[in-house]
Amino acid sequence: MPETSKMKKPDVKVVLLGDMNVGKTSLLHRYTERKFKDTISTVGGAFFLKQWGPYNISIWDTAGREQFHGLGSMYCRGAAAIILTYDVTNWQSLAELEERFLSLTDTANHDCIYAVVGNKADLTDPTAQQSQDTDGMSEDQTECEDRTEPEVLSTSLTSSASPKQVTHEDAMALYGRILRYKGLEEKSSLPAEKMCFETSAKTGYNVDTLFETLFDLVLPSILRKRNEYQESPTVDLEECRGGSSKRARSSCC
Amino acid sequence: MSVKAFELVPAVERDLLMGDKARINIECIECCGKHLYVGTNDCFIHHFLLDEVTSSKGKLSYSAQKLLHKYLGLKKPVAELRAASALERLIVLCDGIVFLVDMVTLETVPSAAGGGAKIRGVTAFCINENPVNGDPFCVEMGVLSSKRRTVQIYMVYEDRVQLVKELTTPEQPCAVSLDGYFLCLALATQYMILNYNTGASQDLFPYNSEERRPIVKRIGREEFLLAAPGGLGMFANAEGVSQRAPVNWSESVIGAAVCFPYVVALDESFITIHSMLDQQLKQTLSFRDGHILQDFEGKVILASTKAVYVLVPLPLERQIQDLLASHRVEEALILTEGAQRNIPKDKFQILHKRILQQAGFIQFGQLQFLEAKEHFRKGQLDVRELISLYPLLLPASSSFTRCHPPLHEFADLNHLAQGDQEKVLRCKKFLISYLGEVRSTEVANGCREDVDTALLKLYAEQDHESLLDLLASDNACLLADSVPWLEKYHKYFALGLLYHYNGQDSAALQLWIRVVDGDLQDSTRSDLYEYIVDFLCSCFNLDLVWKYADWALRKDPTTGVHIFTRRPVCKGQTQLNPDDVITYLGKHDQALLLYLEHLVLERRIQKEKFHTHLAVLYLERVLLLLSQLPTDEEKLTRARERLQALLRESNLYRVQFLLGKMENSEQLLLERATLHGKLEEHDKALHILVHKLRDFPSAEAFCIWASSSRDSAYRQQLFHLLLGVYLDGNPPGKSQTAAGGGSGDLEMAAVDLLNRHGEVFDAVRVLRMLPEGWSLQLLRPFLGRAVRASMHACRTSQIALGLAHSENLQLLHDRLKERKKPIFVSEKKGCHLCHNTFSEPSVVCLPGGVPVHTHCIAQRVRDSPTKRQLTNSSNHT
Ligand SMILES: Nc1nc2c(ncn2[C@@H]2O[C@H](COP(=O)(O)OP(=O)(O)OP(=O)(O)O)[C@@H](O)[C@H]2O)c(=O)[nH]1
Ligand SMILES: [Mg+2]
Repeated sequence: MPETSKMKKPDVKVVLLGDMNVGKTSLLHRYTERKFKDTISTVGGAFFLKQWGPYNISIWDTAGREQFHGLGSMYCRGAAAIILTYDVTNWQSLAELEERFLSLTDTANHDCIYAVVGNKADLTDPTAQQSQDTDGMSEDQTECEDRTEPEVLSTSLTSSASPKQVTHEDAMALYGRILRYKGLEEKSSLPAEKMCFETSAKTGYNVDTLFETLFDLVLPSILRKRNEYQESPTVDLEECRGGSSKRARSSCC
Repeated sequence: MSVKAFELVPAVERDLLMGDKARINIECIECCGKHLYVGTNDCFIHHFLLDEVTSSKGKLSYSAQKLLHKYLGLKKPVAELRAASALERLIVLCDGIVFLVDMVTLETVPSAAGGGAKIRGVTAFCINENPVNGDPFCVEMGVLSSKRRTVQIYMVYEDRVQLVKELTTPEQPCAVSLDGYFLCLALATQYMILNYNTGASQDLFPYNSEERRPIVKRIGREEFLLAAPGGLGMFANAEGVSQRAPVNWSESVIGAAVCFPYVVALDESFITIHSMLDQQLKQTLSFRDGHILQDFEGKVILASTKAVYVLVPLPLERQIQDLLASHRVEEALILTEGAQRNIPKDKFQILHKRILQQAGFIQFGQLQFLEAKEHFRKGQLDVRELISLYPLLLPASSSFTRCHPPLHEFADLNHLAQGDQEKVLRCKKFLISYLGEVRSTEVANGCREDVDTALLKLYAEQDHESLLDLLASDNACLLADSVPWLEKYHKYFALGLLYHYNGQDSAALQLWIRVVDGDLQDSTRSDLYEYIVDFLCSCFNLDLVWKYADWALRKDPTTGVHIFTRRPVCKGQTQLNPDDVITYLGKHDQALLLYLEHLVLERRIQKEKFHTHLAVLYLERVLLLLSQLPTDEEKLTRARERLQALLRESNLYRVQFLLGKMENSEQLLLERATLHGKLEEHDKALHILVHKLRDFPSAEAFCIWASSSRDSAYRQQLFHLLLGVYLDGNPPGKSQTAAGGGSGDLEMAAVDLLNRHGEVFDAVRVLRMLPEGWSLQLLRPFLGRAVRASMHACRTSQIALGLAHSENLQLLHDRLKERKKPIFVSEKKGCHLCHNTFSEPSVVCLPGGVPVHTHCIAQRVRDSPTKRQLTNSSNHT
């Protein structure tokens, strides 16, 4: 992980939240290292610095274990985007998002964007078994197939051994409730269709799309942050007085 | 993943502190420069002088000298000690009381007149290492008191303490750290940040302080390290944000400190060392009865209950080298780059470059060429370091010596590959591509010769196609060093190119000639001979041309002569003098012939000498062929055709000379005839053709040829001559040489001639010449045409006559008309042609009585020949 070592100051923060075992670490691995490898349950948290054009984005992988729950608020503080992750084969993991994790996001930026992500789609959805990822994917996949017991895997692939417990509609409904929790107008917010994803860290299905969609969406937030540093206090005041016009301003940049 | 980052060195041994008193324990320590203070549970403060001793082997140890110990008189353990060196005071916490002690005498400082020097009911305190108060003789202190839920800020002076702020907290605080205005507090159930200036607070995260001992450790400006649930070391800044990923400690951590780039933590039995750069556990040291871990001005000191130790960091470079030694390239680079802030810029750059280079060599050794190349590039490796791995590649004259200490562990490539030829080959291939890439970049600056020479050697050895490209383009290959290599691999053609590049064309030619002659083996070019010819052809050095052309001509005169015939003509270049070439080619008949042909036929040089020479050579060849028996007819024909063509077409050769040469040859009659023709001795020529050769078509052709650039009278003359020859019959004295009916043949030839070329003849003269007895029928075509022609001529002239007559009449008419009236010429009247006035009476009158200047009409007539008649018809007045 040489990227983390450079100690560059990140411009913006993206946080992965969700119950243990839903695949947060796997998603981040898939995106940054382009492979699916064995993970151990995350202790505390970890982060990765992603160079996105001229910007540095820090992506925080948090620990889903109850034990570390208390750290969540701190990780979310000042976040520009939060990825609420659940496991499509586990209804409880979606419920936990609402019960346990949503409140952690109170410390995030006021304009933080939220994505609801159902991972392990490969277990339920045949299209997710095929990777969208083009670069050297199949190779990695075999690497991990060797590690998992092959029989288990083949049954899961053919007969969808794990039934889908969470539908896309469930996730979109949750997204609506998140907006309500945040006191946001559905109309003026990003639509659920755009912000609810089903992914597979294992095959890479939708993983790049997820991260890159978010990066593109947080870009205005980066620009505004930079401007706040550069601009004189008078301009800041003006912007504050603008109040609701803030969003409009950012979208025109 | 382990690395040796620290060494545990004893500082104060048990003996020195408590001797054999078993119940005495260390409670707290403070270190300030060389001064070490230890507080014990029996209410003593011990003062030591700690000296660093470096052994001859570079091993560090400490010698402690006890200066003083002092009983504080409270019978309770000394809970905390903090030095305020500017005040020369120790701040002591003992029995819930904070008070000041003189750093040297360890005497308790009495309270000053105005205020107290004691604080009671204290559970913990901390010093602000980033004070907001500018007074250097004042220390800021955060205090937790047993009074419920408050934090106090004190100013500590030499002899008094002063409360400046008191804040309430939501819960009872149990640990505190202070940076600027920010208090970082461990409360009963959580950590929080409190700004004592504004009162603003920020919750960090929950933590059960009753269950586990909290740790609140300031590690830098507005950044704290905190013990978090699950045995984590969490980082948090004053805004409540974590900017570094947490490290994973055990659950029972007692103390922690940061010694960049490491987080050091102590639990009951181990010291753990994590890197802040990648959060990995790097080193674990066993440490029994661990009690205290604190850092003092960057020095990490630990204490068990009985003794004090210093955790000495190994020099960064050494750590990096250790990592490299175990081939942990990535970690070594992380560590190096992570240390950037802690090392002066120029020093860092040197270190960083070196580590990059070393990393590159490690990867090179693992045949990870792509990564290696990238690191070499970033580390600005002197390419010669790499080249020097390959035995004998660097030129003997190279001044290069490997850098010291060495960048890698390899003696050379063979050592690296351990006899695996496949590996050696891959390394060589890599070097070829690497040098190929860098040779034209600034990487090769200052060592271009070494690089190019090495590349040449590799190319030669690997039979690489780029060898010739290298030599044919701009290069810095060292000749002396390259010669043996190219010879070894039989790259003689290439060697020749190198000689040429170094201005040694003669050496190049000698070498190539030996290859062509088969003395040396090199199959690079199957057309090497042609190459040499081309080379000589464009060679400026004429001496070389003279020297080696001979060889080339002997080898193959036809191609060899190209040296002379294909020389590019360009200005400023000394041209070969054709006379010299001809002299030179003297002994090479065939080449000489080709050269003369080149001069005469291609370049069309109009010089008698060359033409005559060529004609003579042609003739000699014909004569030679004639003298050979049996005659090769085909060759002979071709040779004669050439000769004849030249004789016919050139006007420059010396006719008499050639004629002399073939005077006696009865076989070259046709040629002789041509020569006579050239001399305008047509009768002789025709005589030969008609009587000796009896070749009538040739005779006819001769007439046409000989008169080709003359007028019709000349041609008529010739034809009459021929007719005469035919009609004269056999010349006197030579009776009937040609077999049978000789004169009959001639007559028939005469008839044919007349019938075919009738138009050339003057029919009247012919008729006079013809023998009486010839039948009309025989000459019908001739006569028919002659009659028709004369008829035609007669009629044409009659028409002309008539026309002239009528014109004459017309003019007469005009003249008569004009005579009747005068033609006025005055100075006012203009000429119709030039519109100038007339200045003299003499004018020309155009038909219709228009007067014009004489010179104007003369001009007009000259310009347009069609109006020529006008002159005839004009009148002078
Ligand atoms: N089939 C399948 N398995 C997955 C996928 N993503 C993760 N897993 C598996 O799920 C398990 C948990 O993955 P992690 O990435 O460690 O989960 P996590 O969310 O980081 O868990 P914590 O760190 O404990 O919070 C691992 O065994 C993974 O192999 C996926 O897309 N498909
Ligand atoms: Mg994880």
